[in-house]
Amino acid sequence: MHNLYSTVASVLSPASPYAADIGRLFWITFWISMVILVAVSAFVIFNLIRYRDRGQEGLPPQTHGNMVVEVTWTAIPLAILVVLFVLTMQTMAAVSPSSHPKADPVNLDVIAHQWWWEFRYPGSDVVTANELHIPVGTPIHIELTSADVIHDFWVPELGRKMDAVPGHPNTMLIQADKPGVYLGACAEYCGAGHAWMRIRVIAQTESDYQNWLKAQAQPHPAPKTSLQAVGMGLFNGLTCSSCHVVKGSGQPEGHVVGPDLTHLADRQTLAAGVVPNTPAELKKWLADPHSIKPGVYMPNLHLTSQQLDALVAYLEEQP
Amino acid sequence: MRQEPIAPHALPFPPLTRGWGWLAWFSTTDHKKIGILYMVTSLFFFGVGGIEALLIRIQLAAPDGKVLTPQEYDAIFTMHGTTMIFLVVMPIFIGLANYLVPLMIGARDVAFPRLNALGYWVFVLGGIVLYLALFTGSLANAGWFSYAPLSEAAYSSRPGVDYWIVGLIETGVGTIAAAVNLLATIVRYRAPGMTWRRMPLFVWMMMITSLIILYALTPLNAGLIMLLGDRLLHMHFFRANVSGGSAILWQHIFWFFGHPEVYIMALPAFGIMSEVVPVFSRKPIFGYTFVAGSGIAIGLLSFAVWVHHMFAVGLSTPMNAAFSAASMLIAVPTGVKIFNWSTTMFRGRLRMTSSMYFAAAMIIQFVIGGITGVMFASVPIDWQLTDSYFVVAHMHYVLFGGSMFGLWAGVYYWFPKITGRMMSERLGRWHFWLAVIGFNMTFFVQHILGLLGMPRRVYTYPGLPDYAALNLISTIGAFILGIAVLLFLWNLVSSFRHGEEAGDNPWDAWTLEWATTSPPPEHNFEKLPPVRSARPLFDLNHPEYADHARSSREAKA
Amino acid sequence: MTTANSSAQTGPTMNRHKVGMLFFISSEIFFFLTLLSSYAYLSGAFGNLPHQSLAVPRTFVFSLFLFSSSLTIWFAERAFHRHRYGAFRWWMLATMLLGLIFLSGQAIEYTELIRTGITLNYDVFSSAFFTLTGFHGLHVITGLVMLGSLTGLSFAGKLGPENESAVATISYYWHFVDAVWVAVFTVAYLIFI
Repeated sequence: MHNLYSTVASVLSPASPYAADIGRLFWITFWISMVILVAVSAFVIFNLIRYRDRGQEGLPPQTHGNMVVEVTWTAIPLAILVVLFVLTMQTMAAVSPSSHPKADPVNLDVIAHQWWWEFRYPGSDVVTANELHIPVGTPIHIELTSADVIHDFWVPELGRKMDAVPGHPNTMLIQADKPGVYLGACAEYCGAGHAWMRIRVIAQTESDYQNWLKAQAQPHPAPKTSLQAVGMGLFNGLTCSSCHVVKGSGQPEGHVVGPDLTHLADRQTLAAGVVPNTPAELKKWLADPHSIKPGVYMPNLHLTSQQLDALVAYLEEQP
Repeated sequence: MRQEPIAPHALPFPPLTRGWGWLAWFSTTDHKKIGILYMVTSLFFFGVGGIEALLIRIQLAAPDGKVLTPQEYDAIFTMHGTTMIFLVVMPIFIGLANYLVPLMIGARDVAFPRLNALGYWVFVLGGIVLYLALFTGSLANAGWFSYAPLSEAAYSSRPGVDYWIVGLIETGVGTIAAAVNLLATIVRYRAPGMTWRRMPLFVWMMMITSLIILYALTPLNAGLIMLLGDRLLHMHFFRANVSGGSAILWQHIFWFFGHPEVYIMALPAFGIMSEVVPVFSRKPIFGYTFVAGSGIAIGLLSFAVWVHHMFAVGLSTPMNAAFSAASMLIAVPTGVKIFNWSTTMFRGRLRMTSSMYFAAAMIIQFVIGGITGVMFASVPIDWQLTDSYFVVAHMHYVLFGGSMFGLWAGVYYWFPKITGRMMSERLGRWHFWLAVIGFNMTFFVQHILGLLGMPRRVYTYPGLPDYAALNLISTIGAFILGIAVLLFLWNLVSSFRHGEEAGDNPWDAWTLEWATTSPPPEHNFEKLPPVRSARPLFDLNHPEYADHARSSREAKA
Repeated sequence: MTTANSSAQTGPTMNRHKVGMLFFISSEIFFFLTLLSSYAYLSGAFGNLPHQSLAVPRTFVFSLFLFSSSLTIWFAERAFHRHRYGAFRWWMLATMLLGLIFLSGQAIEYTELIRTGITLNYDVFSSAFFTLTGFHGLHVITGLVMLGSLTGLSFAGKLGPENESAVATISYYWHFVDAVWVAVFTVAYLIFI
């Protein structure tokens, strides 16, 4: 089993102009803070050593304060904070969507659910879950909402985090400078599955991205083997299709409850990042979702081994 | 200096062994006994919250931990936060203030002894109700902030959150009663001569804390009532997506309480620091007026910074900018306090007691919590680091490294007054070093985890690079800290039984509580020294340096 | 050396009871400020319902009864200071009567709303409206109980000059309940209508 989490997801390794801007502000603040911390600590420790009671007679000079000193150590931090505030305002503007007009942007609708992510690509029928493909070098304008409770979209290397608040749509920007996989997660506590609401951004060159989008816009491949055909029948006949969509399965696309499973084989993980997407793992998942992701809303349908094999064959079908 | 043996009849402890005397604890209206009740209750809940903390760290010691289910973990982190805030830090400071404020201002009793007792028992009731939910099989699990709509019946259908709401309303009512009592006591019961500018700084800070309690806890109670209405009566306040309710309104109400709450937990520790550091530096506090004044500034500003908990919500830019500025501004008066304490040590004659060790560590750890606090005031940095482990590190540096260490400084300082016996310095030194090592080991690495993208409130995590090692360090640190706390408790118990007799004023301290016996008699004082400065006992014991004669001395020189 | 004697500092003008009550009231102000600002915050989703369902002129008339009770309790307090206990009792009864008239106005309003189906859980407006006005009503009832106790004690001859602070603190509370209604009426019946 290959490691799905071998890369870092660090605020300090920015891979987008926005994350870089915030990273720079962080480092400026960090070094100012270090100067203050070192100065205060050194002063305290110096006092502890230098002025330790060694049993001298009498009392030390009883000084009560000094107005000049007080004003100084009020004014200097104030001046530092004014500088920091100006930098804060500049960085806020630099990373906000309004300062990046939609010249040639990619739009994306992100809808957070307990406990998975729905990604919709406006202008095409493409819908994915938990894994997000984006072209490199382009600002991505995200429209962020929630279907239930408050969640938070956070991919540290690509930009800020933002809450997905029901009844309060938000917009935010991300961008990836280089192709690669970027890890993120839901950052707002949202219930039992909060830990397993991971995000995986796959940044691709423009042409790779367009190819991917074209492939995704196709319906799910039609069954080629009899096992796959049985699987499609089960998908429609059992209750799967009342929560999940597979385009091309013949069922009407209804209300979104669970992730869209069209082209499931394209994805790297199952259950929003818990396990790698392999037929064996999918079989285990379908057999008992709660053992893999406790608290998940997907019910255990108590399927037989044959039913599991057929469903796995259909869902994991390659185009 | 009088050195009288401890008179048994004067002890504020009714007999614990013989007959029905212990029942007196249930009916007492003596502020000292109620103070002790508060502190003992808080210590009990400190044990509960500490065990919850260790369970959290056990579960997170390695990736894909399987010790707790997510439902259990969620309940435990919810109750850890709720317990430590509402049942430990707030009441332990209220208890300390209950005991000390009347003594420090030279009063025989508090303004409303019976209201005071009522406040304590209502607070206890709230604590019991919070945990009574256990018997329904579902502790509250929506977080100590219980964000709607997760805390609404649609997503938390079991009764844990209802118990949480009712319990918090009760602790809130009890705390408000305690605050009204403290305020009326401070305003009306000061000894002759004790003007505002001669009042001990601990009393100053408790006065500001009590005012913050009055104006922060009623909004919380109003919000809790609305949430309960939503859950039980199907009202519509915070039910976004359903009927025009607003999830964000809950956050505004909660953080309008929630940020002042941080100062309810920090200002009393500031007050302790402002007593302990001068006494053990053998000098008056540097800049009394500025320490008191910066406390007022913090109290006022604490009500104007709450939106910095909501920068990621997606509010308007002007709103974010205004609250960013206010949040940065509150660092200035806080810094003034830090500078004044450390300058009080400068050219002093530092007696390195356990109390002073804790005070010194508090300054440095609190600075770390303070500078990361400024980072969260900077909106874009907050956008990256909020809701990550960086916040967990930040707030524990403020509340544990700051408030708790400050409290420990205060306990070692005032234990002799309260019990008549000294705490063991040897155990105190072990307690100190294990606490410093354990605390910093637990929480310092969490800064790095946050920077590496680890969200908070997760019951488990995948093994991203360095996550396993850093989390393991944190867990080991937590157990070291746990041992430190056990040593502290052992020190309390063994010193209470066998500690050296303290006498009235073992530290040659200068505020009025040291002018009476240790422990003080029921009516507190036989006689009071005249109050002509902020250090009445110092003036009495060191007439050649007396503060009140300062201007005439300087004029001569 | 001076003797520690707290009672020496409790002057006649501002004793502990009055100070305590004023602190308590200042805390209560923040309770109502929270309910009021929540009402304002949610008002965007109210639609036309407040305008359709609230009887502004009638409530204004009932409000006048509550407002005038601040005057009668002031007369009651003045009579008490002058040891004219008969007058005191009559002014107290008048105050309570005015409070009861106000409450009956609220009862009429609630009955009408509930008859048209606008109950506590009808929508976001009804939730906010009943909570805001309901908590004010509870405070009026609390005030009436306290006024009633004072009046009863006075009729029983158990209220003398030594109870000056009891009369004063309860009168503070009553003025506060009155002032809260000024804010509630302004917000619910005038601004967000």
